[in-house]
Amino acid sequence: MSSQENNHQDDSSDNTTDTTTHFGYQTVAKDDKVSMVAGVFDSVAAQYDVMNDLMSFGIHRLWKRFTIDASGVRPGNIVLDLAGGTGDLTAKFSQLVGREGQVILADINSSMLNVGRDKLRDRGLVQNIEYVQANAQYLPFEDNTFDIVTIAFGLRNVTDKDMALRSIYRVLKPGGRLLVLEFSKPEYELINKAYDFYSFNILPKIGKIVAKDGDSYQYLAESIRMHPDQETLKTMMDNAGFEQTSYKNLTAGVVALHKGYKF
Amino acid sequence: MLQQVMCSALETIVNKAVSLNIHPNDQLNALDQKTLAVKLTELGFPLCFSINDGNILVTKLIARADCTITSSINTLQALKKEQQLTELIKQDRLDVEGDIKVAQHFTSLAETLDIDWQTELAKHIGDVATHKIVQLSKTVKNKLVFVSKQIQADSGEYLVHEKRLVVTSRQLDHFNQGVLAVNLQTKQVENRLHQLVERFHINSKG
Repeated sequence: MSSQENNHQDDSSDNTTDTTTHFGYQTVAKDDKVSMVAGVFDSVAAQYDVMNDLMSFGIHRLWKRFTIDASGVRPGNIVLDLAGGTGDLTAKFSQLVGREGQVILADINSSMLNVGRDKLRDRGLVQNIEYVQANAQYLPFEDNTFDIVTIAFGLRNVTDKDMALRSIYRVLKPGGRLLVLEFSKPEYELINKAYDFYSFNILPKIGKIVAKDGDSYQYLAESIRMHPDQETLKTMMDNAGFEQTSYKNLTAGVVALHKGYKF
Repeated sequence: MLQQVMCSALETIVNKAVSLNIHPNDQLNALDQKTLAVKLTELGFPLCFSINDGNILVTKLIARADCTITSSINTLQALKKEQQLTELIKQDRLDVEGDIKVAQHFTSLAETLDIDWQTELAKHIGDVATHKIVQLSKTVKNKLVFVSKQIQADSGEYLVHEKRLVVTSRQLDHFNQGVLAVNLQTKQVENRLHQLVERFHINSKG
């Protein structure tokens, strides 16, 4: 869950128009969404890591580790950790790409970026990391720049996901790959119901107690439900130009890791 | 996900062990930016140890390995000394691909790991408590060793001497059946003899 968790859900399957989009279960003007999502993440940034651990019982670390293992990162690679939030993926990538490589931690939200930068600097990770405040839809990088782009728990907050995917495709080098780690649709109905109960009854209460902001976590739960399911997101990646797209369900589909290449 | 759990746990343990090493971790400097991959026959995935600024990362990213060791857990346990590396390769118990120096440095690192557990424990519970616990653990250990030796000796005695003297119920049954069979055969011979004697008397009178 990162700040571009801040961005939002797409417009592929619903009652949105060219000028409107989702903000959780609400339909809002596209122009308003960025600031609304920013409000959510400004509010939770300070407690973001603690909340992630509480909300996922620490499993988000394993999901991120799975993403690293699936990335095929090598020394010397240039990696973009988009919607990188507090820098969990960046920390690992920074150590794996070595001194020859580089990692860009990008996030649309300055609060999240500041928390991430402080955290990584405190851990002594300064050598090969750069910080960029950027909107996934308009990435401020040259074409064919990155070997790997990751976006973990961020895509669902992007206002126009198709546009973001096209933008990511543009900045990837030929042979480069995109990894999208995001909440998805559980594979089993029973888990789906338990997950719904947890998301809408327990999660906002934890958010209210720990982050003093139940509404933001209510939004997070709603935004997860509004996010495209596994197959829809795969199709969206195909449409953006990615090849050999595939996905892997984690924790019975609560989260899915999508992967696609640019050739 | 189980693989990620294992990598994560291993990473924590290895880094903790290295941080507690009482000897300087010179080998870590030599291994900076290097990756050793270990493929164990018992595991279905590789374990890759990457060193970066004294920190060890455990992943499954085998493509970035400078050296790959294919072996089994038993062989790795035997790999305590650097000189055994060549010996195990000769015996085909260990397969090494890539820069063998990376494997040698990792072996040296493992060999130099020495943790002063008493000092570490004393940091948390104090010197006196640590001393008492160490003394208690030594006493318990000695007693356990004694009991273990005693059990081994008694078992040996029982198996070597006593067990052979005791007749099992199956052996007794077999013996009883043999006695009955002999008894039956004796009676049959006795009857036959009686018949022969009677026939002899009849013939002599006639």
